[in-house]
Amino acid sequence: MFNYRFQWNQAWKRLPEMLDGAVVTMQVAVLSMVIGILLAILLTLFRRSGSRILSGIATTWVEIARNTPALFQIYMAHFGLAGLGLHLSPYQSLLLGITFNNAGYLAENFRGALKAIPDTQPRAGRSLGMSDLQAFRYIILPQMIRISFPTITNQMVWAVLMTSLGVTVGMNMDLYGVTQDLNALTFRTFELFAMAAVIFYVIVKIIQAGAWLISRRLFRY
Amino acid sequence: MKTSVLTLAAVAATALTGPAFADKLDDIISSGTLRCAVVLDFPPMGSRDADNNPQGFDVDYCNDLAAALGVTAEVVETTFPERIPALVSGQVDVAVASTSDTLERAKTVGFTIPYYAFENAVTANEGVEMSTWEDLKGKTVGATAGTYEAIWLEGKVKEWGEGEFRPYQNQADVFLALSQGQLDATVSTVEVAEANVDSGNFPGIKIVDKAPMVPDYVALIALREDQGLINYMNLFINQQVRTGRYAELYAKWVGEGEPASLVIPGVYR
Repeated sequence: MFNYRFQWNQAWKRLPEMLDGAVVTMQVAVLSMVIGILLAILLTLFRRSGSRILSGIATTWVEIARNTPALFQIYMAHFGLAGLGLHLSPYQSLLLGITFNNAGYLAENFRGALKAIPDTQPRAGRSLGMSDLQAFRYIILPQMIRISFPTITNQMVWAVLMTSLGVTVGMNMDLYGVTQDLNALTFRTFELFAMAAVIFYVIVKIIQAGAWLISRRLFRY
Repeated sequence: MKTSVLTLAAVAATALTGPAFADKLDDIISSGTLRCAVVLDFPPMGSRDADNNPQGFDVDYCNDLAAALGVTAEVVETTFPERIPALVSGQVDVAVASTSDTLERAKTVGFTIPYYAFENAVTANEGVEMSTWEDLKGKTVGATAGTYEAIWLEGKVKEWGEGEFRPYQNQADVFLALSQGQLDATVSTVEVAEANVDSGNFPGIKIVDKAPMVPDYVALIALREDQGLINYMNLFINQQVRTGRYAELYAKWVGEGEPASLVIPGVYR
């Protein structure tokens, strides 16, 4: 039994506030992806370095990021670090949590992509006089990004959706946080969250379309 | 002859099934169970005892209501934001969940008369210099998302134009953040503030001042159209006060002193 009369105009007039929230959501997602990709490349280098310490760090990071809930990672970034005396704002905690998660997943995706690149290629580069790092930078990296591009897009979608976990650390500026605030005010739960869902859907579709356009432009053979 | 027998049977059947109009109150009585949404993260109104059983003022209140109706009570735990979905999707019949009766919310759900009234207190981290509630200005403050005091506090922060407001998902997180120094101060009901300061779970916090809100009147909620049920619950609340049960529950869960008056002077209702 669903005994409820939908009053869409009540939610509709809150749209500007929700769109402001959507901008914050996008900001967090984009930042977490940019930093996350850079960190994932670093972790990939760590794993290739041959140093047991460095590859140990990378493996630990990937294991924790992939095998614990994102909710836990974000919660720890806020309350866990605060227990150690490091106080991060909700925005910073959310960004840190998602970035940590992104880096872990992307590093694993990059590992898969590397398997598709024959070992002979960097060796050929080395024989042409490139350093190890140069071979990585000019031969491996472009192919690695190209091969793992669909999974990067996927992770970007995840990053957007994961911003909704920010409410657990007191975030109220992002799309989900704004929606929850408005819900407490008006109790128009279904209208507000349905609208938030549509906005999330549209954001994800825009990301997918954007990724398709970028891949067409960058990865022409 | 045959037709008239059939007609008679049909008439009898109609009479036995009763009027087609059974409201929520009838549904509860015939089902034998009253399902209450209670927030169990809100001591002393709702919490869990050492054996993980629901306890608190709201739990007892639900049990009393069920007893009055002659049915068994079933406590369904919800968070503050989940009260409305639980109600609307028919998972619960009523919410006995310290719901503040704002006009904005009353457009969506049906409120009874108030069954309790909270006063609110400002609790601060001991490391923060605060002597009155006005010192909240410019501080990093927080409260439990979806509560009356959170709405008030967020409004104040917006009005002041300085400081920061953070809503956390539950009371425990608010006091954890306060104890860790993530928050400078919080506003909560006096009952919650005292229970948390006394619990010893959150070292380094102190109650500073009363918050200058009008008393936070809370009511039982049901679907807006369940007028029969709301009508019954209004009388039930009246009887709880009349019979002294209200004072009894106050003494049991909150402590010494008089429970807040539920009468607003100078107005009928």
